[in-house]
Amino acid sequence: MFSELSAQQRGSSLLCRPASSEDQGPVFERASQSYCPRSERYTVGERSFSRQYAHIYAARLMQMRPLLSQRAENKWGSDVAIRRLCHLQTGEQCCIVGTLFKRMELQPSILKEISEEHNLLPQPPRAKYIGEADEVILEDELQRIKLEGKIDRDRCITGSIVAVYGAERNDGKFTVEDFCTADLPAQPERPALDSDRYVLLASGLGLGSTNADSMLGLQLLIDMVGGQLGEQREQSATANIARVLLAGGLLSQSAQDKDASTKAKYQTKKTQAGSVEAVRQLDELLLQLVASVPVDVMPGQYDPTNYTPQQQPLHRCMFPLSSVYPTLQLVSNPYQADVDGVRFLGTSGQNVSDIQKYTSMDSHLEILEETLRLRHLAPTAPDTLGCYPFYQRDPFILEECPHVYFSGSAPSFDSKLIKGADGQQVLLVTVPEFCSTQTACLVNLRTLDVEPISFSAFSADGDEDSEMNVSH
Amino acid sequence: MDELYLDNIDEYVNDHDKIVTYKWLSLTLGVHVNTAKQMLYHYLDHKRKESSAQLHATYLVSGKFVDKGQTSHLVSVVREDQLEDCKARMSLIVSVHVYSVQKALLRDSSPLYSVDYDAVRDHLQSCAKYSAIRCTSAVPLSSVELQQARERQPAPTPEPVVKVPSVNGEASHPSKPSTKSQKGIMGMFSNKAAPKHQDSVTEVKLEQKEVVKPEVEPPKSKAAAKVSPALNFFGNQKTKKPNKSDKADESLQSSSRLEQQQHQSSPPEKKPEAAAEESTKGSKKESRSKTKRTVDSDSEEEKMDKKKRRRIKKPEPDSSDEDIIPDSPQPMQTKEPEPEPSPPPPSPPQKEFESVSHSHSVPGGTKIRKRRRVLKPKTFVDDEGCIVTEKVYESESYSEAEDEAPVKQAPTKCSTAKLHAAGNNKEEEKKSQKKTSANTNKGTKQASIMGFFQKK
Repeated sequence: MFSELSAQQRGSSLLCRPASSEDQGPVFERASQSYCPRSERYTVGERSFSRQYAHIYAARLMQMRPLLSQRAENKWGSDVAIRRLCHLQTGEQCCIVGTLFKRMELQPSILKEISEEHNLLPQPPRAKYIGEADEVILEDELQRIKLEGKIDRDRCITGSIVAVYGAERNDGKFTVEDFCTADLPAQPERPALDSDRYVLLASGLGLGSTNADSMLGLQLLIDMVGGQLGEQREQSATANIARVLLAGGLLSQSAQDKDASTKAKYQTKKTQAGSVEAVRQLDELLLQLVASVPVDVMPGQYDPTNYTPQQQPLHRCMFPLSSVYPTLQLVSNPYQADVDGVRFLGTSGQNVSDIQKYTSMDSHLEILEETLRLRHLAPTAPDTLGCYPFYQRDPFILEECPHVYFSGSAPSFDSKLIKGADGQQVLLVTVPEFCSTQTACLVNLRTLDVEPISFSAFSADGDEDSEMNVSH
Repeated sequence: MDELYLDNIDEYVNDHDKIVTYKWLSLTLGVHVNTAKQMLYHYLDHKRKESSAQLHATYLVSGKFVDKGQTSHLVSVVREDQLEDCKARMSLIVSVHVYSVQKALLRDSSPLYSVDYDAVRDHLQSCAKYSAIRCTSAVPLSSVELQQARERQPAPTPEPVVKVPSVNGEASHPSKPSTKSQKGIMGMFSNKAAPKHQDSVTEVKLEQKEVVKPEVEPPKSKAAAKVSPALNFFGNQKTKKPNKSDKADESLQSSSRLEQQQHQSSPPEKKPEAAAEESTKGSKKESRSKTKRTVDSDSEEEKMDKKKRRRIKKPEPDSSDEDIIPDSPQPMQTKEPEPEPSPPPPSPPQKEFESVSHSHSVPGGTKIRKRRRVLKPKTFVDDEGCIVTEKVYESESYSEAEDEAPVKQAPTKCSTAKLHAAGNNKEEEKKSQKKTSANTNKGTKQASIMGFFQKK
């Protein structure tokens, strides 16, 4: 635990007179670590949108089919018949592999909206789009078939590749007796570290919002990481924080000036976009951070980069002050990197919140685990989550199992250590939104442990010191 | 010497009524943060023992906190009265120190944030100097390395509309000192506004186009990232060298609608004059707002420039009728901004278009050889076969020292450059026109109308 580590360090109390010697005070060296970015697969090369999105599914299925066949054989015996849908025979127990599709009545459909015979108004956004009349359908390259049986309809995610075992009934529906997913991929070895090293994960800074309550908390976070807060022993422990990762959510939603798109140009000519000031603030904050610790900045949902989650890194021109430092790394979302041999993989949270809208799962951690088991970062892309129409390979498929798998902008902090069938150990972390929870996460690279850090300040309405600010 | 800080803090707290946070103190006095915290504690202690001064303090407490089974590390700023309470709630206390000292009791912690924010903003470059952790890799890149890093990145598209000021800072020419920046803005506008001579495009120095160009130049040379980006952006406008015309040529294609407007204004007629003026005015405004968006750090300078622009803009409509009022370099120097250009008046047979580049009208301490327009008589054969001698402006290169007296001569009917001066310049030129016409009249040995009165 970080607290204990700090308590163990030596140091004098600061509630005393300053020493009369010329000693300026202790200066600790920031722990260095080896860092290797591995997110080349998430950078988009040429951007041609003149393709159909259906190719994504084809690529996905093609890539995952052999894996699933392997899993199916492991689970149900190597003599199980794996059939294509076109070769299905009624009554035969077999296994089929395909893409799940959940047909939901409430799912917003652009075709329905613009269709004149329906005469529908655009649907207002809802928290959940699942309903009672949903159907689950399995598709492969050529056909699709309805599924029923032991499949939990509300937990199914559109776009996930699964293998189901059962038989086809007379009425053309497939009755499921069992199903399996691709599960965790192989994990590279994690080297043993001799000392405690930490990585700080934070997200949802929410700059540029009209409500600035969290700014002091943010300043406290930066001061703590920069080694300015705390007594000597805490500062020496903080020197072990080797890296800071900002998982999206840098700008708040209110920094996005919606009026700019609807108002006439001559009315908005002299007004600055709200995000300009917010980015300037971010630049100043980053400057304070990068002066003392390497920082990776991932873009989030409302940040000035492209919308579809294969978001490209923020451009360095927006950070004139801090981009001078080599410690600032502007990275893509999703992001993968090796820090001291520990593989980090994560997103800013758009994939998880999208899945949350279309299934009954509410806990971000549960969804995170589900995506890991499905071996796919964002199965709902491109159905309900925007993405780029790639066609040769699906970059969201997990090929190697990470050691730390995180997602940002979660409502609260949560973590879990899961074990895979082949001995993989993954730490799942949902990084909470800092602007609402004032909490960040500290991951210990040696023990694969995570701990929340909260910051609080006092305010006029009495003591809301600790209760509100600590996670759940 | 050790006690001096007590007086310092005393002064800040009591006299200036400030909230003294440890960070502010550390940045202001230039001491390590831990020393600053100890100083605050000492001061508090000292003052309290001495007199019952009305001082309040906030403390920072951090430690382990267990909440519903979830342990976390909590860092919290508390008022003095809440200190013991908070310490009791934590299961393991890691550090306690004074966060700030102030005279008034704070109800809310947001003033603490604003104090720190201001302190950091004032010392942006040294914010990590006094902290307890040093990071060896956090050394700002030098400009050479920055340039290499930029070159490694994919080159930006040729039409960056809202431009990165630091990108603009990479002209191949040295950026001018900041005193020139103001002139530069005006130079940009006046150059842009210079009317277009359609055919003699190649002859045209194209400086006015250059003005738009710096936005378009791909980031080449060394980064001037640290220098205020705005100044660089404006500083570019003034650098006018003849070789820029090549760049201007290639950037011709990629220039903005400004060029199209200029092309449109090329048919030399009175009619499009007003229209072109409007369009150039509009384009100027647009570019002005564009530049405003890019420049966020130098708002003051901008305001000044805007004011200047506004002043100048007023006399513009008056000048729409004026034909041939080319500027002399000197008035341009004194009056800085040239608001509008008027497009070329009806083309006389010979169209020698010389644009005036602002760069050489800008005063300054630079010793670069520049070009200026000088009135010179030119003899040529016109299409009727007659030999005509006209006084025209021609570019001549000179160095700063030579340019002394203002050249206030109106050109004759062949008008060339279109830089409108301010209204008073116009009047001067009208007068000078009359003067020169009077002079020429004397040459023809005709009695002027005033002769009637003089002979009396």
